Amino acid sequence: MAIECSYYLEDVDTTNLPERFLEALAAILSHSNYAMVLDTACRVSTRCGRCSTSCPVYQTSGDDRDIPCQRSELLLKVYRRYFTPLGNLGARFGRSFEIDEAHINTMAEEFYRCTACRRCTLECPMGIDHGLITHLGRWVLAEVGIIPKALVVATREQLEGATRNTSAIPKAALLDTCEFLEEDCADEIGLKIEFPIDREGTEFVFFPAVSDYLLEPDTLIGNAAVMAATSGSWTIGTSAYDGINYGLFYSDRMLDRIVSMEAEEVRRLGAKKILIGECGHASRSAKFFVRTFCGADDAPEVVNFMEYTHKAWKEGRLELKAGVIPERTTYHDPCNIARSGWIIDQPREILRHICTDYVDMTPKGRENYCCGGGGGTVSIDEIRPFRTLVGGAKKAEQIRSTGAELVVAPCANCKKQLREVCEDHGLDHVRVVGLHDLLIKAIVPPVEMVIVTGEAAVGAASGV
Amino acid sequence: MDDWIEFARGPLFRIALTVCVLGIGFRIVTLVGQIAAAWRRAGDRRLPLGDLTAATASWLFPRRLWAKRPVYSSASFLFHIGLVVVPLFLAGHVALIAGGLPARWPILPEAVADGLTAISLVAILALIGGRLGSASSRALTRTGDLLILSLLFGLLLFGWWAANPAFSPFAARTMFLLHILLGNLMLVLAPITKIAHCAIYPLTRLVFQLGWHFPAATGRHVAQALSKEGEPV
Repeated sequence: MAIECSYYLEDVDTTNLPERFLEALAAILSHSNYAMVLDTACRVSTRCGRCSTSCPVYQTSGDDRDIPCQRSELLLKVYRRYFTPLGNLGARFGRSFEIDEAHINTMAEEFYRCTACRRCTLECPMGIDHGLITHLGRWVLAEVGIIPKALVVATREQLEGATRNTSAIPKAALLDTCEFLEEDCADEIGLKIEFPIDREGTEFVFFPAVSDYLLEPDTLIGNAAVMAATSGSWTIGTSAYDGINYGLFYSDRMLDRIVSMEAEEVRRLGAKKILIGECGHASRSAKFFVRTFCGADDAPEVVNFMEYTHKAWKEGRLELKAGVIPERTTYHDPCNIARSGWIIDQPREILRHICTDYVDMTPKGRENYCCGGGGGTVSIDEIRPFRTLVGGAKKAEQIRSTGAELVVAPCANCKKQLREVCEDHGLDHVRVVGLHDLLIKAIVPPVEMVIVTGEAAVGAASGV
Repeated sequence: MDDWIEFARGPLFRIALTVCVLGIGFRIVTLVGQIAAAWRRAGDRRLPLGDLTAATASWLFPRRLWAKRPVYSSASFLFHIGLVVVPLFLAGHVALIAGGLPARWPILPEAVADGLTAISLVAILALIGGRLGSASSRALTRTGDLLILSLLFGLLLFGWWAANPAFSPFAARTMFLLHILLGNLMLVLAPITKIAHCAIYPLTRLVFQLGWHFPAATGRHVAQALSKEGEPV
């Protein structure tokens, strides 16, 4: 399928671009573990192409550019030529590859055709992680100014803007939204929930994908309801309230700065742990990189909200009604929490309990297909045809074959992408929701949560 | 001819084997050193060693051969069996490696060795066919990939003809000499080509996992090196 993946950039300084690319790569190799990675990939890569059988993008596009080991080869070629003795020796004899602007442009497109879902790592006999090589390639490109505009603008606002979050939601609007959600839950469902703000000494500081405050009120109400039902100790910090971390998709420098903001907010509030909302990449970036950049054993522990809810349910602190969701329901595994095997069974156990007709997709879990918008590409609106018709085609097939009306996707990025995938693939009957959106219907509220006046309270108390 | 054969499987073999052992040893030591340094620098040193070991071990056995590129994957697996088993367990090879001392490991019956060699030969042809058979595979293939497969094909074919002169179009001794010479060449090439994976394969998944375990100061150091400290996003 010939659909291109061209994205907007801010102004790129093309002066001495190849030299600057090599300078950036040299700096990164000197101060990271990537030299070992590239060195090993060069030695063991057989380019057998088995990875292509697992890539949802290649499976649809059939375009050689989307074969993971071919994409890795773009960077390995540069490494071999400029950073190995044999490459330097070859250059002296005049027959060698030379990096130029065209090669950099090729990398700029191909590294963003990849959704960084890392499904290909499961199929490489040699264990090469093409996702890691793409991750590095994107970082080097970023250091010479090649970053999708959508990602860099959002990151700039998060790190240096007035609002300190990727959706540019001012603190006042955040407070208004939280208040509105509390009132809405009380009026519509008859349950008392609270979004505690800047409370000190709590167990958790909450970091959802900040876009949830704009787009996913039901998920947030579900989160707050679980906390209310379990008497959870949590707060939202007003200095940093965004779990989104586009650094994971284009720069380890930014990744470091964003997770450090989260850890700093936990310290400011005297809290203990980071609680990430329903968002795959926000969860992975915090879970795996807060320890890396914020003091290893001294760093705050990171918990995903689904882990919290599942644990509370299993321990009997949260009661959930069985079979309250009658529609056929399926579950989409966000790559960033499933590929490593971290969160696979917990949401499924809950869904099997609260749904009368739960079906799994095939494949699932560690081997799930990406929604097609991974690696930050979901935020790049100008590539929607590529994202949904190429990257998301496999996922659309999967959803269709389950016959599900509800797709539970516990990730802000996956939700946005899957809604667009469903629109573009004629799956108009499908609703994409978060896990906690459904939980609000299943929670058996403790007495103190139930508002005892008005019709809604009667409904809530009787489980309607 | 016999003098050449004696030279090839005597001094030349010892030199090639020494180069191979030292080269592969160097590769392993270097990689272990890189791994240790990377682990020391990592901000988070916890590693899922159980998962890595299980994944590494699982790829030593046939794995969904028919689900993913069935012909190529099966050919690759069969090819590796012949390449690993025959060099180590064929009577002639055992005698060469043991240097005249009694062998301390089992010897493969010749018929089995011949059969495995024939399977490997067919498998190599399938692999070459797989690489050249489609435009996508050709795009992935570099000259070196075909060269190594061709050398291995020659090595096995000459060895098989030497062991089965009735089927050989050429003199058995000539085939034997070519087999030994190519064997020596492969030993020398092993440390500097992708054949090195025979030794470093057990460590590759650890390397890529560790690749995600960044040094805590990597961002700041890169910013310093590129004079980007304090530069706006």
